[in-house]
Amino acid sequence: MKKKQIITEEPAEMHPSDFSHDDDDEEEQLDAPVKPKRIKVSEEEEVVYHPVKLSRNDLYRPPTAEELNHLKEAESLFHCSLLKMQMEELLKEVALSERKKQQIDSFVKTVTKLLETVPASPEVEVSDLSWLSGAVKVPFLLVPRTTKGRFHMAPPASIDLIGSYPLGTCIKPHVRVDLLATIPADILHPKDVLNQRYPRKRALYLAGLAQHLKSSPDIGTMRYSCLHGNRLQPILLLTPPGKDSSSFTVCVHVCPPPGFFKPSRFHPQRNNIRTEWYTGLQASHSESSEPPTPHYNSSVLGDLLPRAHLQFLSAIRSQCSAFSDGITLLKVWLHQRELDQGTGCFNGFLASMLLAYLLMTHRISNTMTAYQLLRNSLNYLASTDLTVSGISLAKDPDSTAPSLVEFHNAFQVVFVDPSGHLNMCADMTACTYKQLQHEAFVSMQFWDDPTVDGFHCLLMTPKPMIRTSDHVFQLCDLVKLQASCKKQNLLSELMDHSGNYFLTALPFILSLLQQGLGQRIRLLTHSLSPDPEWSVESEAPKYKAQPPLSFGLLLNPELVASVLEKGPPADSPKAAEFRQLWGSRSELRRFQDGAITEAVLWDGKSAYQKRLVPKQIITHLLQLHADIPESCVRFVGTMVDDVILTGNEVPTTGEEESLVVVQSYDDLSRKLWKLEDLPLSITAVQGAHPALRYTQVFPPEPVKLDYSFFDRGKACRSLLPKEGKPCPHYITPITVICHMEGSGKWPHDRIAIRHIRAAFHISLAELLKKHHNYTCRPCPTHLDVWKEGLVFRIQVAYHREPQVLRESVNAEGLLVVRDNEEAQALEMATIHKPLLTSTLHGLQQQHSCFGAVCRMAKRWLAAQLFSEDITEDTADLLVASLFLHPAPFSPPSSPQVGFLRFLRLLSAFDWRNNPLVVNLNNQLTAAEYTEIKNDFMASRESLPVMFIATPKDKKLSLWTRRAPSVQMLQRAMMVAAESLKVLEHQLMDGSQMQDVRVIMRPPLDAYDVLIHLNPKQVPLLRHAVDPPAVSFSRGVIAESAAQPGGALPVIDYNPVSLYLTELRDAFGDLALFFCDPYGGTVISVLWKPKAFVPAPFKTSQMAARSVEVTGEEVKTIPNVEAILEDFHVMGKGLVKSVEARTEKWML
Amino acid sequence: MAPSKKKHAARKACVIPGGFTVLSLQFSLDSAARHFLYVKEHRVRAEKSSYRPLDRTLFVLNIPPYCSESVVKDLFSQFGSVVSVELRDHPGSSSESGPKLSKVFRPADKERFKVGYIVFESSSSLAAAKSHPHDDPLVVSTEERPVKTGVQKWIQQYTKSFIHPDKLQLTVDSFMQDYDKRKEEEAERQRQEVEKQQEDEEGWVKVTRGHKGAKARPHSEAANKRTLQREMRKKRRKELMNFYTWQHRNTQKEHIAELRKKFEEDKQRIALMRAQRKFKPY
Repeated sequence: MKKKQIITEEPAEMHPSDFSHDDDDEEEQLDAPVKPKRIKVSEEEEVVYHPVKLSRNDLYRPPTAEELNHLKEAESLFHCSLLKMQMEELLKEVALSERKKQQIDSFVKTVTKLLETVPASPEVEVSDLSWLSGAVKVPFLLVPRTTKGRFHMAPPASIDLIGSYPLGTCIKPHVRVDLLATIPADILHPKDVLNQRYPRKRALYLAGLAQHLKSSPDIGTMRYSCLHGNRLQPILLLTPPGKDSSSFTVCVHVCPPPGFFKPSRFHPQRNNIRTEWYTGLQASHSESSEPPTPHYNSSVLGDLLPRAHLQFLSAIRSQCSAFSDGITLLKVWLHQRELDQGTGCFNGFLASMLLAYLLMTHRISNTMTAYQLLRNSLNYLASTDLTVSGISLAKDPDSTAPSLVEFHNAFQVVFVDPSGHLNMCADMTACTYKQLQHEAFVSMQFWDDPTVDGFHCLLMTPKPMIRTSDHVFQLCDLVKLQASCKKQNLLSELMDHSGNYFLTALPFILSLLQQGLGQRIRLLTHSLSPDPEWSVESEAPKYKAQPPLSFGLLLNPELVASVLEKGPPADSPKAAEFRQLWGSRSELRRFQDGAITEAVLWDGKSAYQKRLVPKQIITHLLQLHADIPESCVRFVGTMVDDVILTGNEVPTTGEEESLVVVQSYDDLSRKLWKLEDLPLSITAVQGAHPALRYTQVFPPEPVKLDYSFFDRGKACRSLLPKEGKPCPHYITPITVICHMEGSGKWPHDRIAIRHIRAAFHISLAELLKKHHNYTCRPCPTHLDVWKEGLVFRIQVAYHREPQVLRESVNAEGLLVVRDNEEAQALEMATIHKPLLTSTLHGLQQQHSCFGAVCRMAKRWLAAQLFSEDITEDTADLLVASLFLHPAPFSPPSSPQVGFLRFLRLLSAFDWRNNPLVVNLNNQLTAAEYTEIKNDFMASRESLPVMFIATPKDKKLSLWTRRAPSVQMLQRAMMVAAESLKVLEHQLMDGSQMQDVRVIMRPPLDAYDVLIHLNPKQVPLLRHAVDPPAVSFSRGVIAESAAQPGGALPVIDYNPVSLYLTELRDAFGDLALFFCDPYGGTVISVLWKPKAFVPAPFKTSQMAARSVEVTGEEVKTIPNVEAILEDFHVMGKGLVKSVEARTEKWML
Repeated sequence: MAPSKKKHAARKACVIPGGFTVLSLQFSLDSAARHFLYVKEHRVRAEKSSYRPLDRTLFVLNIPPYCSESVVKDLFSQFGSVVSVELRDHPGSSSESGPKLSKVFRPADKERFKVGYIVFESSSSLAAAKSHPHDDPLVVSTEERPVKTGVQKWIQQYTKSFIHPDKLQLTVDSFMQDYDKRKEEEAERQRQEVEKQQEDEEGWVKVTRGHKGAKARPHSEAANKRTLQREMRKKRRKELMNFYTWQHRNTQKEHIAELRKKFEEDKQRIALMRAQRKFKPY
């Protein structure tokens, strides 16, 4: 028999190599084989972590003084030096190789040569495009259609390399080399600054260049784009031909000869676009009353200065040796935060200018390392607000240069260039700068924290908006922004932005949202729209072709969910303003303290609905003030909440239900404490169930029973499931551990303790019945209490019992203490689980969406059939780590973002080489972290593959000791990565099919046998990922909760889990069984890879096997037909069909 | 699979090397597939158990999980009357010890394939079983003797898991009485032992080797370890460290070797991270 291996193929890196290293080996390793092996490791860069084995000679040879210093340094500065080494490696990784540089140089040379031979053309009117051979279009949106001026083509006056490449700060992966072609002076006219004449000539010139290049075979592809999304500054993107075509891009910029225009013409308060020309209407404006056009001015001025900037930066670079490395690190940092691309970004050029500013103001010195440069610049960014106090690089600006105040009046963010005339941050919105500042602040916070892997958080973790912001919404139909410009009367601004209504409306929308959301949010961010790119043969795309604009909200968890927006008192002057902002939603309200104020009340009964309050605010405000209809606003923030949505009248995600359970438990706990007449007193009552820490996927709900649905038990007043009826409603027993006082009266014998516990259960039951009239069912192992529609399962515990279980007397009468599984299981149930439950309950009090994230994560794990491997407690711990160690993010404040980060954690964490430390209650110190890490490294091979350390469990990883296995973890990581990709794509792309449940439907074709279950007998059917249309009566009356007393319901009776247990007991050696515990109707079976290998006949291993006799040799193989038959037999009544996928394995 | 290969042995017992006879078993008359039981007379040299008399005990392998002891008893009754059936997870000698527990206090049995020891009344039944033709299957569930599985069985299990509190209390009480009695007896015995070691009237002490487990001082592994450690500490205190020059030199050498090793390890860790592309930021 042969069988394909599906999951079980493991990559080499997960295969632990033999790690048994101890010092005794050293003696034997004296001779040859050691050295060659070591050399091999370093040469080939083997992926496996081998223990370092130095020969005795190597270890004990006399040290040189230099080596001694080296070693001492490494010993004392480990944390720092590791970070340094890591950054050096990173720099190597992103730097351009020599080969690449040669390629670039040769291509640039080709392009330059081609450009120099551009043929001249006769002079024509600007609007006359006949000289262009229709194959190439002009990269410009001609609004209004015409402008004055004459134009002709001529070879560029000069061609130079500018930007990051000559500075040596160009980095992978998007290598862009900027090439600057200067328009000859005779094409331009000094008056061309007016009415877009210069930008249009610039575009024509670029089209002329493109036309010439198009005929050349040395150019790969040619596309137009524009610089930082500014349509006035089109650029030409060239790639080399052949297979290198995607490895780098050359951007051809066009600019006027230096000093051609007077910089004073571009003062932010001057006007360079006439209303008359722009609107086409005769207007009686004199030049002085024309509105200023600061953005237009700065875009033209920006074209004049690139050479000067390059010279300035080159001068700075020659002073400071680590300058380029510092910029490179800063660029990587910016790239990971998506701040370095698009309109109004903080790009590499600004980063270099910032470093230059810091150098000039002596905030950093020339001798600092790249590490220090990065640190100081982030520190500066975090502490400086360029939106109120701009900075200038100009040492002694001439008298015509505008002052900082004038810049601030025209622009939101101010950073003036060395000439003193240009604001380099002209397009940046205040929100973007605030985001930058926030990121820098967060980075500085975790940089020094020794418990955080600083390098990784700082430079290696990408922070896309969907995973960073708690809520995300998108404006889809951007054409609608035109209407908002009109509504807000932004004509002059529109003119300034040359008709880019999107950029015009953005600052207004941002300030509107900021005002409306107020204290509810900590940060409002927006996506920087990417630079459009289009083919040279097509017209420039319209503004409406831009992708949707995304906004991210970082919520203030305390205030975000409040449904009331309390305004000023009715008679205060601010009331009018408030009414103006909120429109008809604002109404006068009288409060309990007698105050009568304006107020807005939003809908929201459950926590789920309250999470949607920002959505209500946003849609209302945009509709009211910006004429953007609700259909254009796509709110992404709560889309995944769907999968844990329950509730009949009011949709909830389980917070309210969990609260009911916890309150009921608190009541029970109080009542237990008050019980008297017990032989020993109660020392602790602790919850040990996910429902008591708000993390049960579908929290138990109080139910009332329909007695006629059940059989009645004879012995006790209890209900029994009836044959032939659908399986009754599943009632989860909520485990409560009740510790009894230690006393000499406890016997010192395991079986006797078991009996005493049973006696306690009986007497507790009697007391609860007598005082509170609860129906109870005492059993030897637990006591079930039926209380207000919920069932609590009380287990009496004695703290010395695990110790008693470990002790035994051996043959010589010696008392030995041996750890065993029974004791471990008992400790887990009575000590560790209650502790975890109470700790996580505390976490929920701090972070209100902790429970919801856990529930979502566990729902996903269950749906993807991982719930047996990544247990509930493990999943809760993983989620807890997201809240306790959020770096580089802030703790999640919405379930969805938490869930996305959970998927990322699961898929991207390096489980092989790192322990995941969950610092519950902040109990671990830095020293303990190191200790955990060292212990982990020392005994990696013997530890669980997924290692989670907590303050109470530093060495063993109790929760993952049994599962997952290497293979299952590997698969979980793979599935998580894939789910994350699909989900993020769906969330961010509104045009996609909208069904977040896609990630909850695992493909079943990898499995060998599918057992289809009868939905009638699946009690949790209504929680299935795709709830079926038909539902079965399960003996529950949909009314308020039951009264105390009454018959005991059917507790913890779930045929599916009973069946699974039986299957695993019987066939666990041969196959793995997977099932979604929440309403899954399919059990997937996977044969173990070794199951079908014929084995020799052994009396102890004959389960479900048949023999094959060949001569005297007897081999055994699994009796598959009989096993498949057994699947039927053992699940009679539950199994609908067994589907053997024999095409995957042969009989 | 297997049945087809053994067609030639029709109406005959099928014996495989190792001495096992193959019996086939099917759940009900209309089931298509069969399990195979492997039976042999129980024969162990060392065991002298009265539970499993050698000449009358049948050793059966691969009994499916749905066959309880009573079902097995019924199945094998066709070969002669059965005295007792013992089902176990693994073959081996019986090791039942300790006080007899009430059913509710025993851990639940796992549903898995088992081995069985069937004791017949007469040894002729053994031969009958061993010569049973292998293509005449034993049938587990028949109309007159249905075996419950699946939902029916789970409902039955659930129903049976109920025990009346009074009954439970009785069980507990009787066990604890037993336990107390045993404890008392034990205490009594120890007291007697101690008494024996008391001086008699003339001042003589009778010294005997005590009964197992009646040691005078507490005897545990932990105590042993403690004593050993104490000795070790004492020894170490006497030893002189870094006294001789060679000792001092050795310590320093060791320290440098340690540092070297650590440095190598760090270097390698970085190399490993590089190899795994851990420094590629995007």
